[in-house]
Amino acid sequence: MGGARTAGDMVMRLQLDKKMKINEAKAYVAEKLGVTLEELVDVVTMSELREDLGIGLAHVEPCAEANMGMEAKFKIAEILDIKINSVEKFKKRAGIK
Amino acid sequence: MEKKYFTRMGDGSMVYMTEEEIKADIQLGMEDAILRGKVDPLTEEETQKLYDIVTMSGIIVGVEPGMQVVSSNDSGSDKISTKCGIPVTRDVNAMIHERVLGADSVDIGNSDYNYKTVKGIAKREATILKQALRNTTMPLFYGAMPNLGFYTKPDGPVENWAVLLPEGRIKEALQAQEDAVVHAVNDITYVAKQMADVGADGFQLDTSGAAGDADFLAALLACEKITKNNPELKVEIGAAGEFVLGMHGKLKYDDQIIAGLYPHKQVKLVEKAGASIFGAVVNTNCNMSFPWNIARVITFIKACTDVAQIPVHANAGMGVNGIPMCENLPSDVSSRADKALIEIGKVDGL
Amino acid sequence: MSKEKVLETAKTAIIEADEDMAMEALHAAEAEGVELFELLSDGYSAGMKVLGDQFGMGEIFLPELIFATEVMKMATAEIESRLDMSEIKAKGTLVIGTVEGDVHDIGKGIVASLVKTNGVDVIDLGREVPAQNFIDAVKEHKAEFLGSSALLTTTMTVQKEIEQLLEDEGMKDSVQTMIGGAPVTQRWADRIGADKYCEDASDTVNFIMDWIEKL
Repeated sequence: MGGARTAGDMVMRLQLDKKMKINEAKAYVAEKLGVTLEELVDVVTMSELREDLGIGLAHVEPCAEANMGMEAKFKIAEILDIKINSVEKFKKRAGIK
Repeated sequence: MEKKYFTRMGDGSMVYMTEEEIKADIQLGMEDAILRGKVDPLTEEETQKLYDIVTMSGIIVGVEPGMQVVSSNDSGSDKISTKCGIPVTRDVNAMIHERVLGADSVDIGNSDYNYKTVKGIAKREATILKQALRNTTMPLFYGAMPNLGFYTKPDGPVENWAVLLPEGRIKEALQAQEDAVVHAVNDITYVAKQMADVGADGFQLDTSGAAGDADFLAALLACEKITKNNPELKVEIGAAGEFVLGMHGKLKYDDQIIAGLYPHKQVKLVEKAGASIFGAVVNTNCNMSFPWNIARVITFIKACTDVAQIPVHANAGMGVNGIPMCENLPSDVSSRADKALIEIGKVDGL
Repeated sequence: MSKEKVLETAKTAIIEADEDMAMEALHAAEAEGVELFELLSDGYSAGMKVLGDQFGMGEIFLPELIFATEVMKMATAEIESRLDMSEIKAKGTLVIGTVEGDVHDIGKGIVASLVKTNGVDVIDLGREVPAQNFIDAVKEHKAEFLGSSALLTTTMTVQKEIEQLLEDEGMKDSVQTMIGGAPVTQRWADRIGADKYCEDASDTVNFIMDWIEKL
């Protein structure tokens, strides 16, 4: 679905976390992001939105201004209202409440 | 002269077929699945759509807008190194999958891709996964095979049932398999805990059933334990073939004999075990045409997705689900297999 | 009991792995004057063929196949004890193994079992077998058939090595080579000069039995 170029990574998270089938998972993510299903898979729309929300990009230039990796996952967990294991473990080890 | 369409055989070799030949092979492939799996046929509309996909113009074909699906992997992050000979570390491989290839997820896996081997180096493997998790945004799995064959002598602790069975030592052969299941479940759950502790999103039990019904049972029992002990770690169980080979024959899960189960019944056990995703597999027959193979595949897969309560990812790798059995995959029939799996087979991912 | 009924009983005895029924068929065949060769090929062996097909469909499992094999062995021994053995064609010997570097021996084990049930001697070399060991075993056992299994694209090259060694030793015409395994195809067989690509255990049995018929 394009991964971090679109919203494939987030749809995948919903399949894993809530065992949602593809259409349900897409609808869930689209609603949380406030986009249509068509926009959800559009690389231009999603690149801008991902940049604005700080939820990780495929192209991360300029790097200093782009969220990627762990920082992006903190935001994704919040926006999608799910727990992400690596984020939870990171918080625990870093002593973040 | 009657028009012939370009397609391929299951081993990837090129072949030209007429409309009549393609339709006949689609019918025969479907009938083979119906006979073996006792599943429903495709509708006339679906059969026509399949013919259209096989014969549509263009080298690479794609799904209709709105039908895009996600992808998971088996040993994905290792393949740039092992398959292409490019020496890149696995955490970097994961980043390449995310930022260059546009993958939706990938798994970190050892090139000796089985849990028995991984157990001894599990914490080191977890370290690599931890590094990768820091640097990637998409979900990351740890993946390997239950591979019960590795538990037999001389590599493992139990007698080799493949040797015992032909000798008629059936009781011992069955016991050896049952013992191997216990060893495998212990190893898998140990590895799973290490991966859960560093923050893995998913855990891939790949090619489950490769060594027969005991192998599949090990995956189910391990999944059950993982989802109970480490609920933060989500499990994908990928199958080894269209039916579970009966090397034991009497093993049950949830009161269901495991041997001989086809995808539409495999998925129900996978659900019961608590997995999040089922990786369905139908083997490609190298000696039959792509139309025959893909019709057979779609008949099995659609029967599976019709009853599945969890997402089904069809394995779209070499030699399975209509993809030819050759190292360098031709994008023409591979993209047609993907389109058919998604649009007719109704899979939730690849 | 009619001849058809005798053959059907023999076939069913194997399918149901029923020793008593197998003996009943044998006694009935003797009483009715049914040729014992025919009883073996069109009765008991026909039952094994049905089981082989059912195994390939996932309808029966390996232990059941082995039970049936035991009954088949018993029936074959009984028939052999009643016949002048010189009349029976030697069924040949198969040397089989999984090639060097490859530990996947489940499929090979199934092939070995099924071939054995059809009265062919099987020399199973196990797994991770170097090419030269196949050649040595063929010489030692004067085998007519050589089967190699490779489950990996990285190990199937050993099958090519086997063909080359047979060529070098001038043994190419005296042994029929069969290759199998997931990445292996008829095209690969053609490329390396193997006699036959065998898709599964039944395919292997059919190839061997057809070849034996020609001997």
